[in-house]
Amino acid sequence: MTELQEIENLIARVAMGDREAFRRIYSRTSAKLFGVVLRVLNDRAEAEDVLQDVYVKIWNNAGRYRANGLSPMTWLITIARNAAIDRKRRQRAATVGDVLTETLADPSPGPEGQAIAASDSARLEGCFGELDGAHAEAVRRAYLEGESYAELAAHFDVPLNTMRTWLRRSLLKLRECLSR
Amino acid sequence: MTGEMPERDDDIVRAGEYALSLLPPDEAEAFEARLASEPELRRIYAAWVEDLTLLSEDVAPVAPPAAVLAKVQARLFAEAPRPNPATLLWRRALMAGLAVTVLAVGVFLSADLLRQGPVAPQDPAYTAEVAAEDGSLVVAAAYDAEAAQLYLERREGAAAPGRSLELWLISGEDAPVSLGVLPEAPRTALVIAPALREKLAGGLLAISDEPEGGSPTGAPTGAVLAAGPLTDT
Repeated sequence: MTELQEIENLIARVAMGDREAFRRIYSRTSAKLFGVVLRVLNDRAEAEDVLQDVYVKIWNNAGRYRANGLSPMTWLITIARNAAIDRKRRQRAATVGDVLTETLADPSPGPEGQAIAASDSARLEGCFGELDGAHAEAVRRAYLEGESYAELAAHFDVPLNTMRTWLRRSLLKLRECLSR
Repeated sequence: MTGEMPERDDDIVRAGEYALSLLPPDEAEAFEARLASEPELRRIYAAWVEDLTLLSEDVAPVAPPAAVLAKVQARLFAEAPRPNPATLLWRRALMAGLAVTVLAVGVFLSADLLRQGPVAPQDPAYTAEVAAEDGSLVVAAAYDAEAAQLYLERREGAAAPGRSLELWLISGEDAPVSLGVLPEAPRTALVIAPALREKLAGGLLAISDEPEGGSPTGAPTGAVLAAGPLTDT
């Protein structure tokens, strides 16, 4: 079994209420998820709090995992990132994560979805390399630090609308590159 | 994207912005409503999530403290994780200590607190007298909610040679959380982390005897020497 299959298997067992599987999934993934949460929040005590919420969410939503078509680490990391950003902004608590776990249900991803699942980081790196350096960095910061348009505009010292244009253009270019 | 509708481009951009958490709340909600009814949009969004998550390969893993798993299990599985025998002994000692110290609360903030070191707050939100049963160790505590600082004055006793005194907060059924190691100076002020501030209300303070520099495990390892509840002023 590959590592991913093992985690998928553990999620399935957690969905059936298996506490031992939950403990194992925690020991396998908590350092990664804590790293993701810390990167956004930059505050250990808050990150520890959010990490608790993340694993409560994983326990409660494991049953819906199989239907959402995402790979297991993507699902786990996205729950962690969204929880951290919700905490950072103290608003819209949990809505984003809930959409991911609840309404993304689409058992047949279709050919496009399957091709996408084969994407790897080298391909992503290549496509980031085709962007203007500052634009690529802005997309990275939005994802990894969870920065808003306003924060990104301040960081790169450009007007808000300029930042929006950078980001939107970059997203189109990225998607075009990634679908080649 | 040759030959594709600008409308589809717009969906690709929106889905990417949503995946990056860049949409303002009202636009995010509108997008979520569309996601629920448009399978193609869900595919576009899922593709972004899969691709962007690859960026987190650059994030270094950081092991969280052991207390996090214990707290998650306590929240999910109702009964707290089985405490080990050492913890049970520690708790029993703590409760015995409490019976005595509860009588002594609220009688500090003496004038000599002002003589040196950090200055105690004029109007503390909570105070506590963290005391040993036999009075061999007494630490007065006062919490300044505005500064989020806990002022401490050690009035009796000290750490044994080569050992440290460590201050803990016990809140509800949570495992004890370290607030820090007491310095050699009798007066000090500790900044309380945001997540702990609301747990001070109704909490207990306790001091344990630990190896020099504090508990190596993140949980109390030595005898509880003194304890006292935090009380509203």
